[in-house]
Amino acid sequence: MAVFEYRQAQEVRDAFARHGCRYLFIGKSGAILLGYPDTTQDADLFVAKSPENGEALVAALKELGFEVEPNLEADIRRGKDFVQLKNGPFDLDLVFAPDGIERFEDAWNRHVEVDGFPVCSIDDIIASKEAARRQKDLESLPRLKSFREYLRRK
Amino acid sequence: MTVRVSSGMVSNRHSNANTPATAQEAQWWSEFDAAARRPLEQRLRYAFIKTYKPVLDDARWRSFASMSEYREWCSRELPDWLGYGRV
Repeated sequence: MAVFEYRQAQEVRDAFARHGCRYLFIGKSGAILLGYPDTTQDADLFVAKSPENGEALVAALKELGFEVEPNLEADIRRGKDFVQLKNGPFDLDLVFAPDGIERFEDAWNRHVEVDGFPVCSIDDIIASKEAARRQKDLESLPRLKSFREYLRRK
Repeated sequence: MTVRVSSGMVSNRHSNANTPATAQEAQWWSEFDAAARRPLEQRLRYAFIKTYKPVLDDARWRSFASMSEYREWCSRELPDWLGYGRV
């Protein structure tokens, strides 16, 4: 499996646009798109939970080369809260209900676009990590919050 | 409000220039400055890495009905050192 890189980010963006997927980059991959220097292993997408979006996501994922078997397709169409994909050209997490963010529409109204990539606001990225309360997030939050302050002051 | 950025880093600039409060923050901000000078393509090349994570990487896909179910699975199944446990 290849490492996620710019070309693949473009492929996600373009395939998701062709199929009308509603999504936002979130998590550390989202922060990196905003300019945050760090490392991560996969791309996290906050995806809107609706039958239409589920159908669009399945079509886009198949086009990108993910092996979407019937059970997985059903789970994506249902909008299960968290779907972790390691059966395609790169690792991808689909998060239908991230911790710390009430509704997709709220996050969409606050989102930022970077080179055509729709990205959650830095406030929402931090809120989701705070709510998740994972050890690895708590260790990285001070630097991420400093980055938010950096964005505000520069 | 949506901010559209044609290239480079997102900027949410205020008129008053400030400096970091601590030496640690100063170090971080120098890293942020360096990142801001790199094009997005290069930033992504530096950012995404692949290392094997036990258990987590041992299935082709997983799905969870709720985030709490996922968090419980992480706590139960993943080695502590991966850092996915809740605190």
